[in-house]
Amino acid sequence: MFEYSFMQNALIAGLIISILCPAVGAFLVLKRYSMMGDTLSHASFAGVAIGLVFGYNPIITAFIFTSLCALLIEFLRDYFKKYAELILVIIMTLSIGIAITLISSGKTNANINSFLFGSILTVTKNDLVTVLVLGVISLIVLALLYNKLIYVTFDEDGAKVSGIKIKLINYIFALLVGTTVSVSIRIMGILVVSSMIAMPVAAALQLHKGFNVTFISSIVFGFIAIMTGLFSSYYINSAPGGTIALASVAVLLVVILIKKIGKAY
Amino acid sequence: MLIINNLIFSYTGRKPYILNNLNLHINEGEYVSILGENGSAKSTLIKLILSLLKPISGSIKINTDKIGYVAQRVENFNTQFPITVYEMLKIHLKSLKIKDMKCIDKALDDIGMLNYKYSLMGDMSGGQIQKIFIARALLGNPKLLILDEPSTGIDIASQDEIYSYIKHLNVHFGITVISVEHNLNAALNNSTKICVIKNGEANVYTVDEYSRFLEVANV
Repeated sequence: MFEYSFMQNALIAGLIISILCPAVGAFLVLKRYSMMGDTLSHASFAGVAIGLVFGYNPIITAFIFTSLCALLIEFLRDYFKKYAELILVIIMTLSIGIAITLISSGKTNANINSFLFGSILTVTKNDLVTVLVLGVISLIVLALLYNKLIYVTFDEDGAKVSGIKIKLINYIFALLVGTTVSVSIRIMGILVVSSMIAMPVAAALQLHKGFNVTFISSIVFGFIAIMTGLFSSYYINSAPGGTIALASVAVLLVVILIKKIGKAY
Repeated sequence: MLIINNLIFSYTGRKPYILNNLNLHINEGEYVSILGENGSAKSTLIKLILSLLKPISGSIKINTDKIGYVAQRVENFNTQFPITVYEMLKIHLKSLKIKDMKCIDKALDDIGMLNYKYSLMGDMSGGQIQKIFIARALLGNPKLLILDEPSTGIDIASQDEIYSYIKHLNVHFGITVISVEHNLNAALNNSTKICVIKNGEANVYTVDEYSRFLEVANV
């Protein structure tokens, strides 16, 4: 299996996104904004459609369009303070409108299924380089802003009073979410990205520990789910999106089960 | 320490204003309790002082940037958030660019919470959480401490401990205290001045004046 270059590409890309998705997801879930991942996955769908129709690299167009949507969501938050979920509906409607119109026009040559459900076979060297560059930059930014992001997520007013530029942090974070979604769609598929942002965090929250432990556990659970999903999709010859989603549910169930057994004894 | 001149504010940016030409002067070392009916914009005034909101017009001048803030506990705190006391205090210290982590131990010890250093915030009682937030506000040695209803949702014993500690900080360390209060006894027992917000304006009394005012009004 490891001798195939497509599998090597998939595993390297999988490694990056298995760190990035739960890392960004931890902040997103704790902001109670998990559905932003779902909205941005729809935005990435529109971005992919734009790339396929106009002949550009779909991951790059997805990255640009998803990032713009992420910034727009953050911008609109000021206008819909009490109805944050309404912003997500607005962006989702715009994105899905663009995606369906372009794809149903019949001008997309590539198989759109590989973007919807994820794919191991179609991760090219170019895709890998894009995922690596964007993924590593995102991880570096996340590491640099780690403490500020925790503060803004936990207590926005307190963070502002102590001198943190919360608007800037929120915009950078929105970009990070946009980037995470767009680099993840090649492997996991548009339909599964948002689950992988939230599911490992859901499992980690079951541990009932502090932020650092929850954060690291989310990454470990994300890594287990994505690698298990990739290997099993290779063996059963299915799209990785489905097996990754199932593996993430299995991880959550195992964590809940172990917690229950631990309590019983 | 704090001078507010002709402050006008409303959330809509239009009339009716909830703060209307409000003036307030607070000297260094004072302990001022802000009283007022529900919806009289007490907490709004605090948020304006902290620059969390922008006034329509008027000026707010504070002669220090060393400000400690304790928000209204019930308003902001998510008990499900996975964070330990130490983690919360550490990120606050980092935001203040203070490298000496030992002051976390001192701040917790001073308020009698050192044993809870590695506890989860969500696992603690209301009084304990409030003490931790006060310890956080005191990191960086503030000259001005601003509290928004520090006794809300807290048992009587913890309230007494918290108020006597705040009073101690005011008397022994000269920290200026501004506290929004719904607890009249705490305001009368601890303050040097009482500020009552009514119809968008501030009326300032000494504690004796306000006590006499209450007697006449038969409250």
